[in-house]
Amino acid sequence: MKTVIKTTNLQKIYNNSVAPVKAVNDISLEFKEGEFTAIVGPSGSGKTTFLNLIGGLDKPTGGEIFIDGTEISTMKESELFDFRLRNIGFVFQSYNLIPVLTAKENVSFIMLLQKRPKAEMEKRATEMLEQVGLSDKLNSRPNQLSGGQQQRVAVARALASKPKFVLADEPTANLDTESAFNLLDIMEKLNKEENITLIFSTHDQRVIERAGRVITLVDGRVSEDEVGSSRFEV
Amino acid sequence: MKILLILAWRNLWRNRKRTLITVSSVLFAVLLATLFVSMEKGSYERLIDSMVRYSTGYIQIQDVLFDEEPSIDHTLLFDEEIEAILKKNDEQIAFHVPRLQNFVLVATENNTRGSILNGIDPELEIRMNDLNEDLVKGEFLKPDDNGLMLAEGLAGILNVTVGDTLVLLGQGFHGSTAAGTYPVKGIVDLKIPEINNNTIYMSLSEAQWFYGTGNRVTSLIIMPENPARTQQLAENLRMMIDPEWHRVLTWEELLEDLLNLMKFDVAGTMIMMMILYIIIAFGLFGTILTMLIERRKEFALLFSLGMKRAQVAIVCFFEALFISMAGVVLGIIISIPVVAWFYHHPIPLSGDMAEAIADYGFEPVLPFSADPNIFLNQALIVLIISFLIGLFPVYKVFRIHIMEAKK
Repeated sequence: MKTVIKTTNLQKIYNNSVAPVKAVNDISLEFKEGEFTAIVGPSGSGKTTFLNLIGGLDKPTGGEIFIDGTEISTMKESELFDFRLRNIGFVFQSYNLIPVLTAKENVSFIMLLQKRPKAEMEKRATEMLEQVGLSDKLNSRPNQLSGGQQQRVAVARALASKPKFVLADEPTANLDTESAFNLLDIMEKLNKEENITLIFSTHDQRVIERAGRVITLVDGRVSEDEVGSSRFEV
Repeated sequence: MKILLILAWRNLWRNRKRTLITVSSVLFAVLLATLFVSMEKGSYERLIDSMVRYSTGYIQIQDVLFDEEPSIDHTLLFDEEIEAILKKNDEQIAFHVPRLQNFVLVATENNTRGSILNGIDPELEIRMNDLNEDLVKGEFLKPDDNGLMLAEGLAGILNVTVGDTLVLLGQGFHGSTAAGTYPVKGIVDLKIPEINNNTIYMSLSEAQWFYGTGNRVTSLIIMPENPARTQQLAENLRMMIDPEWHRVLTWEELLEDLLNLMKFDVAGTMIMMMILYIIIAFGLFGTILTMLIERRKEFALLFSLGMKRAQVAIVCFFEALFISMAGVVLGIIISIPVVAWFYHHPIPLSGDMAEAIADYGFEPVLPFSADPNIFLNQALIVLIISFLIGLFPVYKVFRIHIMEAKK
């Protein structure tokens, strides 16, 4: 399988000059196309920082990040904005949707920025909202949707533009069990159907069990990398 | 661009009350500023109109030396050449008023006083400034009259009335002596004390005979068909007259001192206006600042999704512009009928102020101007203020750190 993301000796150190905190410490990983990966670990283990780095939202202190063979850690900010728009889908823990846009407009938003044809956007957005079970909420604003529904719209938006991979930072953290399982079912289904690499951080045991690959971070380092039923101590 | 406009417009209505309060503050500021400027301009317009109608006219043709050294020797020969020039501009000229004006010593049996003798064409003068309406005693002058018409103040100082005879003595054309006795035919109330205490009117033909000037006048006043085209008419006349002998002056040049005084007064008004503009600016700035602070996470989301900083900045800029434009447009829409009402129904004054204004021959009211430029200028000033304030979120958006905003 093709490698979509590759990091080599990735580092992120905060307060470098005063009291250095190594949030991400020498992580070298590869993510293949279509993988469904959970990044787990206790609070402060570096999960979010790692996702921010590979998502091009933050700059590493050291090491390299390759997306589809392209080194992104040396890119200028303007290049990164464009790179994110074309290649990466995001689902955050909260504040995921643009409050003034309807569900359909939110799903279309990235495609709109990508200047896709209107007909294609309309079709794809409707299709994606149908797939996440929200065909009756096309014109609802975020404040008219429940937390679980909002997360499903965010997943639909992240996948609608067919990015190279989707990063989800604790997508189920604020959801009840039923909504969390529902969201996972959708993510798993779309991951298989669309063959899009999906990486999400979580410390939710319900989610971890569903992942095809589980990477455990402790103090910014990879302590375990388990694929399928086999678990590797690193 | 469409999505940016949609985002900006919908963002405004996220907090409907706040937006409406900000729009209202801009609206009231525009309304106040418009009324304030309209009132000031109205007073100036009335003053200028009075000065132009009673004194200078819109354009004057004079002898080239008269403005610097007003003397009976620097008079203009109102001959065929000048008449031909006036005829060539006939379509633009409503009428012209010749005047011969000079100092004269006026004496009775017991009193002597220096005054200004105005040789006028009574009919044209009435057409220009309704001087006949100021008549309080006796008869108004006729074109070939050989009597005098006295200002009421001067008549009081000299203790004379209609039917009395006055002796006039002055310097005539080219050093000759001008002297004569004239009966008082009428008395006019000229309101403004300085003018009312030293003005004498005589028919133009009699004044030309008295001073021995022949067909000469000190000034030829031109009243244009369209006062708004005064400058254009003055330019036309300048091109036709002989600059070695004649000079064309507009009312702005003739009333230069008064206009300078007004400019000085306007500077004081500008300070008041600045305070008003600062209030508008702070109101708008407060709203924009709050909108920026409470939407940091949203900006982080938009940046994460791949929206460029410039696009987010445009959205914020449009928001500031929409709020102020709504305030400006509504402010102008409301101020037009309000100003129109006050234009047709000036605020009446009472008490000492009313008396003082009435003494100067003006109606004791606060007049308003309906000049469209007032509305356009206010709209433009407020839009420039909003434009500058709209640059603040643009600056801030370019400085937001995504990771900090995400927290």
